Amino acid sequence: MKRPLALAVFGAAVSLLAAGCSSGSQGSATKGGTPQQGGSVTFAMPPNATPNWIFPIGTPGHLASFNGAIRQEVFVPLYSYDGSSGTVALDEKASAAKPPVYTNGGKTVDIKLNPLTWANGQKVTSRDVEFWFNLVKANKAQWGNYSAGDLPDNIASFETVSDSEFKLHLTKAYNPDWFTANQLASYVTPIPQSVWDVQSRGGKVGDYDRTTEGAKKVFKYLTGEAGKLSEYASNPLWKVADGPFTVKEFTTTGQVTLAKNPKYTGTDVAHLDTVTFKPFTSSDAEMNVLRSGGVDYGYLPPLAVAQQKTIERNGYQVKPWNGWAITYIPYNFNNPAMGAVFKQLYIRQAVQMSIDQTTISRVIWHDKAAPGYGPVPQTPVSKFLSPVQQTNPYPFDLNKAKALLTSHGWTIANGVASCAQPGSGATQCGPGVKAGTQLKFTINAQSGSTETDNMMQEVQSSLSKIGIGLSIKAEPLNSVLDHTAQCKPDQSSCSWQLSFFGTAGSWYFPAYPSGEQIFSSTGGTNLGSYVDPAADDLVKKSTSSSDPAAMQNYDAYVTKNLPVIWMPNPAYQVSAIRNNLRGVVQDPLANIQPQRWYLAK
Amino acid sequence: MTRFLAKRFGQAVVVIFFVTVIVFLLLHSVPGGPAHGILGPKASPQAIAEFNRVHGFDKSLLQQYWAYLDELFHGDLGQSYTLNQSVASLIGQRIPKTLVLTGMSTLLALVIAIPLGVWQARRRKGLTDYAVTTVVFVGYATPVFFLALVLVIVFTQKLPILPAQAPQTQSIAGLFADSRALILPVLAGTFATVAAFSRYMRSAVLDNLAEDYVRTARAKGASERRVVWLHIMRNSLTPIIAMLGYYLPVLFSGALVIESVFNYPGMGLLFWNAAQTSDYPILLGAVLVIALATVIGSLLADVLQAFVDPRVRGAIK
Repeated sequence: MKRPLALAVFGAAVSLLAAGCSSGSQGSATKGGTPQQGGSVTFAMPPNATPNWIFPIGTPGHLASFNGAIRQEVFVPLYSYDGSSGTVALDEKASAAKPPVYTNGGKTVDIKLNPLTWANGQKVTSRDVEFWFNLVKANKAQWGNYSAGDLPDNIASFETVSDSEFKLHLTKAYNPDWFTANQLASYVTPIPQSVWDVQSRGGKVGDYDRTTEGAKKVFKYLTGEAGKLSEYASNPLWKVADGPFTVKEFTTTGQVTLAKNPKYTGTDVAHLDTVTFKPFTSSDAEMNVLRSGGVDYGYLPPLAVAQQKTIERNGYQVKPWNGWAITYIPYNFNNPAMGAVFKQLYIRQAVQMSIDQTTISRVIWHDKAAPGYGPVPQTPVSKFLSPVQQTNPYPFDLNKAKALLTSHGWTIANGVASCAQPGSGATQCGPGVKAGTQLKFTINAQSGSTETDNMMQEVQSSLSKIGIGLSIKAEPLNSVLDHTAQCKPDQSSCSWQLSFFGTAGSWYFPAYPSGEQIFSSTGGTNLGSYVDPAADDLVKKSTSSSDPAAMQNYDAYVTKNLPVIWMPNPAYQVSAIRNNLRGVVQDPLANIQPQRWYLAK
Repeated sequence: MTRFLAKRFGQAVVVIFFVTVIVFLLLHSVPGGPAHGILGPKASPQAIAEFNRVHGFDKSLLQQYWAYLDELFHGDLGQSYTLNQSVASLIGQRIPKTLVLTGMSTLLALVIAIPLGVWQARRRKGLTDYAVTTVVFVGYATPVFFLALVLVIVFTQKLPILPAQAPQTQSIAGLFADSRALILPVLAGTFATVAAFSRYMRSAVLDNLAEDYVRTARAKGASERRVVWLHIMRNSLTPIIAMLGYYLPVLFSGALVIESVFNYPGMGLLFWNAAQTSDYPILLGAVLVIALATVIGSLLADVLQAFVDPRVRGAIK
């Protein structure tokens, strides 16, 4: 099982912000050669990734896997962000609208649409965007991406200026970069009102979406049709595409073939005739097929990285695909046994200084992972990255780590530190830590991954040298997720102390890598209940103020405050790309742009 | 016989009912439910609440089980949480493919194992018996994933004469149309099964060789060929038939490792992935199918034994 969580955010990560982030060499990975028009390419999906939703509004449980990546080739999103320009930036060619203009102190967004056309010949208009908003507004509880206070709650009204222009009046001023990247680009997609605004199959098209009752009926009908997976390639609803590809094949076992859309009127025309997304039952099965040349764009399982030379000899380029992500281990600050211990910054500093990220990246990951020191992705380097994170305030140093404990009233006996001097003084264990408390932690970790097993053992070994005992409880990924809930100290679900989702658990950001979901006290994925008013204030500023320093201030503070244990960030995958397949950008946002791929002569 | 069948049928219904109760209770007693695991860490509290509402996790356990039974009696196995398909259609797609794979492997294994077992028994303690036993033991002890990888490396890379993956079509006709691609997965499944069946056969034939009826047949001048292949063989098949009956659930539950290595999504992988992703409706559906296969398999074993062995026939009247 590899990358399911990364995949879970695939759809969300497809879009996002105009930030100035250099994407390094992977942006121009496979250019050159004489482009050949036409041809077919097979792309290997990760093990057990089975696309299962095509309707641009996903219900809970249908946001995962390659749904977003495939869908945006068929239905062009309002805004798309990627690394195709060499920076993580707005990709105008892959977007349905021109860059937004913020007026009225950041409270009004003026958007002009690009000249796109639906397959039935009708133009893509403001009405199609209004249709999306109306459906989501009336059915927000059923929308899988809904988070209270965010879209559509933060839109006070939708104003149509003309067929090709509309304005969004926001409930308050937001940071324009954040709003475009993490709200508009992540979710909004024009959908064909002139065909889909019906309440039953064969029903008459109307303006039903303009009433709440009508919008509910239309949504129910459309999600009902989206539930018929076996009809995706034949249902006329899904044929009304405005993207560079249309769906040619969509099997119930997860194989999807996209064919070039001959009626596409945008500027991002596909070179290839077809692209097939091939499902695999395991990474070993994919590797077997890759070795025999059965896929054009595949990947090497982590344990097979040593076979890089063999694959290269077979006519492939092998390149890591680095993600716009961070990897970390959350502390449960509400755990009844260890919460008070985790709340002591010096303990978190000692733990962080015991993580030998450089060695883990080199030895366990064979250099296919990079150390991470804070809440902003470090590859590619971006304007969001503060000097504090770049310079790593807590480098690996077991002696300093141990000294931090002993200087705060801990004595080490039989390899485990015990609190000998409770209290709040500078040389005492800290508020809430009782006398005799032992530094014995338990970590729930993803099972079934050699890299995770090895990392956990390495961390266990390092921590034992400074007097911290670590028990590793390996479980299937879903169990780890189930057992890592936000909780109150008196709840039975609060028994977890540390949790690691392993190779599958990197947090993939939208283009604007703010931390409102993971490090603000009200964040939906602030799993360990980290509460720090200063961090909350900085997170808020990063999403609402247009001050360019806001993100760096947030980054510097959170880097030093250690709400989690920073871990090396593994590559999204180690790709094998056939030598004659060009135009491929390994987008840090974990997205793909197959319309730009071509076969070189 | 009718009374026997009616009684067994009644037992089967009770067994299956209890299986559904136990599995349902076990799955639904997991604290927090499957929403966090299925929706991932990015899920908002609103999405989790909606998931729980849609799938009935906001109701009491009894209400949930009643709703499940109600659907079951209406022939509805429910909807997968993760695959956007009904459990019935998923099982309907996977079972034929799985049966082709496991059925062919088992059939091939029987075709090899039965004569091999007889042949070994007749040459017991000879050099060839020891040699074959060694090979069979190695086969039995070899992990299937290792064997499958060896087959892939040898026959698709070192000696590229066969495809590296099983047929990728969805139809059964398509599977047979691409029969070359079936060779490696079927062979991988056959190897270990041959070992198991041939040992049983060898042991049964050895037992029968010492029986009085064999001596009588020989005394009456029956040829050795007739004695072995007619008298001994028929009597020695009884344990194999019993074993085959209990093998039925294995045929239906798939061959996880082979499906995984040869990119052949069948029942084994469906069940495994459902367990990994907490997709309860699939788990319940698959357990129901396997429970049914177990019950039917044991019934079939009894009936077939009665067919080949008059003593058993007398006992179940």
